[in-house]
Amino acid sequence: MLQTIDLTKRYEDDTLALDCLNLEVKEGEIFCLLGANGAGKTTTINLFFNFIQPTSGKALVNGIDAAEKPLDAKDHLSFVSENVMLYGNFTARQNLDYFSRLGGRRNLKKDDYYHYMSMVGLSDDSFEKKVGSFSKGMRQKLGITIAIIKDAGNILLDEPTSGLDPRAAAEFIAILRDLRERGKSILMSTHDIFRAKEIADYVGIMKKGRLAMVRSREEFLGDDLEAVYLDYMQSAS
Amino acid sequence: MLRDIVMKEILDIIHSPKFVFTFLLCTVLILLSVYTGIDNYRSELREYNAAVVLNRKNLENQQNYTTLAGIGTKINKQPTVLSAVTTGIQKAVGRQATVNIAYDPSLVDSKYDSNPVLAVFGELDLTLIVRVVLSLLAILFTYDAISGERERGTLKLSLSNRIPRDRMILGKALGGLASLLVPLVIPFVIGLIMLMLYPDISFTGDEWLRIGFIFLLFLLYLSLFFSLGLMVSSFTRRSSSSLFILLFAWVVFVFVVPKTAVILAGQINPIPSVHEVTAQKEAFLQEIQGSARQEVLDWRGENPSDNTPEYQERFRAFLEDLQQRATSSIDERNAGLEVDYQAKRRKQQTLALYLSRLSPASALTVGAENLGLTGVREHERFLNSIKQYKPVFTKWANTKMMQSLDLGNTGEQEKPDISDMPRHEFEPEKLSESLAAALPDYLVMALMTIVFFMAAYVSFLRYDVR
Repeated sequence: MLQTIDLTKRYEDDTLALDCLNLEVKEGEIFCLLGANGAGKTTTINLFFNFIQPTSGKALVNGIDAAEKPLDAKDHLSFVSENVMLYGNFTARQNLDYFSRLGGRRNLKKDDYYHYMSMVGLSDDSFEKKVGSFSKGMRQKLGITIAIIKDAGNILLDEPTSGLDPRAAAEFIAILRDLRERGKSILMSTHDIFRAKEIADYVGIMKKGRLAMVRSREEFLGDDLEAVYLDYMQSAS
Repeated sequence: MLRDIVMKEILDIIHSPKFVFTFLLCTVLILLSVYTGIDNYRSELREYNAAVVLNRKNLENQQNYTTLAGIGTKINKQPTVLSAVTTGIQKAVGRQATVNIAYDPSLVDSKYDSNPVLAVFGELDLTLIVRVVLSLLAILFTYDAISGERERGTLKLSLSNRIPRDRMILGKALGGLASLLVPLVIPFVIGLIMLMLYPDISFTGDEWLRIGFIFLLFLLYLSLFFSLGLMVSSFTRRSSSSLFILLFAWVVFVFVVPKTAVILAGQINPIPSVHEVTAQKEAFLQEIQGSARQEVLDWRGENPSDNTPEYQERFRAFLEDLQQRATSSIDERNAGLEVDYQAKRRKQQTLALYLSRLSPASALTVGAENLGLTGVREHERFLNSIKQYKPVFTKWANTKMMQSLDLGNTGEQEKPDISDMPRHEFEPEKLSESLAAALPDYLVMALMTIVFFMAAYVSFLRYDVR
C-alpha cells in the first residue's frame, strides 16, 4: 500500500513543488495522477523512492517511512519511468538479469527471462538483441518486465505511455490491468487522460503541488472527466 | 550486489564500441612503441660499442702523450635497455664527452644532432602513450559514468532498488577502472613478451623491478584520471558538460602546467647562460696559459741552458710541476664556476620539478624517467662522473706527457701506452635511490587519486538522480 500524509516538498530555490499531499493507493488499485507539467506528479514519485527528501510530511510504503528507511521501502517498490534507455550495449536479457539482481531476484535462468518477456509481448527474436536497437515501445515493455520480475507490491510509473504509439500504449495498459489483478498497488503519473480513464480506480488532478481533486472510478465515469480536467488545467495556467 | 555492479560496469564498457576502439588503438600504439624502442636501443648499443672501440684505437694510434693529452679520451654513455619503455631525455642530450687536459667536459652528439628529423616527430614511448593517449581515453571512459547514467534513466532505475549509494559508486569505480586497465595491461604484457623474444635483449632482476615500478606508476596515473572523470561526472548533470570540463582539465594537466612550471621557475630563479660560464672559463684559461708562459721564460732566465742531462731533468721536473699546477688551477677554477652554476641550475630545476608536480603528467614523466634511468637525474649523475674523472685523467696525462718530453730534441717520442690509463667508471643509480627520487611522484598521484575519488564519493551520495 502507498500512502502520503501531508507530504510537502519545497526546493532550495523556494519553489513549492508539493503542498500537504494526502493520498492512498490500496492493494489491487490503480491511482492515476493527472496534472500539468510542474504540478508535482513526478515529485511525489521521487519522494517515495527518497530520490529527494521531503520538507515535511511522510511518504509511506506498506507503512514504512520512505525518508527514514529508504532501503526498506525500496524492497516493496518497483519503478517504471517515462523514457528509460536501459543499457544499450546489453541485450534485453542482460538488462533484465542485471536489474533483477539489483531487485533481489538472483536465481533466475535464461528461460525465466524469456518467459517474462513473452508475458509483456516482446517477440522471441528480441530477447538476445541489443537494447540500443529497440523502439521506445519495446524499451517500455522491458521496463515493465523489470518491475514484474521484482514482484514488489507497489509499482510507481512516471508517464509510462508518453511517446508510445496507440497500439503499444494499449498493450501497456493491458499489462497494468493484469498487475492490478495480481494485487499490486499502482501509482501512475500521466498526461494521458484517456488511458487514465480506461484503467484507473482513482484519478487525482494535481495543481501547483496540491491534489486539487480526487474521483473514484464510479464518480469519474459519471462525470465528463475530460471537461473537468481541462477546467483545472486552464485555471492552473 | 557489489559484484553485480562491478560485473555490469565491466560488461557494459567491454561491449561498447569505445572499448573496442581503445583496445585496438592501445595495442597498436604500445606494440609499436616497444618495437621502435627495441630497435632504437639496439642501434644505440651498436653505436656505443663502435664508439668505444674507435676511441681505444684512436688513443693507441696517437704519436705521443702530448697529442693524446690534447685530443683526450671519449667517454660514451652506455644505452639502457629500459629506454625501450621510457626514452626520457636520452635522445635530446649528448651521448659522448671528450675528456682532455684543457677543457671542461660536456656531453655532445645527441641522437637529435645526428638525426634532426627525430626531433621533429618526437619519440613514441610507453610513457608518452600513457601520459597523453591513455589519460585521454580514461576521460572518455568516465565522463558519463554518473551524469550519463542519469541522462539515460538507468541511475534512477538502479537506485529504485535496495542499493546503498556508496556501494553503487564503489562498484562503478572498481568495474570502470578494471575495464580501463585492460587496454593497458594486455598490450603491455604482449610487449614485454616481445622484448623477451629478442635474443640480444635481456633484463636483469633490477631492470625487471624497475619495469614493475614504472608499470605501477602507469596504473596510478590512469587511476588518477579515472577518479577525476568520476568526480567531474558526479558534479555535473549533463555528460556534455562533464566532457568539456574534463577536456579542459586534461589540457591543463598534460600541457599547460608542465610548461608553465618550467617558465615560472626560470623567472623566479634565473641562472646565467651556459655561454657566460664558458666565457669565464675561457678567460681564465687564457690567463693561466699567459702566466705559465711567463714562468717558463723566467725559469729559463734564471737557469741558463747548458744542455746537460741534469739541466734537462731539472727543466722536465719544472715543466711537469708547472703543468700540474696550471691544470689543477684551471680545474679548480672551473669546478668552482661549475659548482656555483650547477647549484643555481639545480635550484631552478628543483623548483620547476616541484611546481610541475601539480600536474600528474609531470609526476608520471619524471617518476618513470627516474626509474628508467633515462631522466635528468641519471644524466647529471653521468655528467658528474665525467667531471670527476677529468682531473684523474689530466693527472695521468700530464705525468705521462712530461715523462716523455723530448727535451734533447732526439726526435724520438714515446708511443702512448694506455694500459695504465685510468678508466672512467659509472654505476647506474641504485634502485632504492631511484625509488626514493620517484616517491614524491607516487605520493602526488596517490594523493590526487584519493582526493578525486573521495570528492566523487561524497558528491554521489548527495547526487540528484532526477
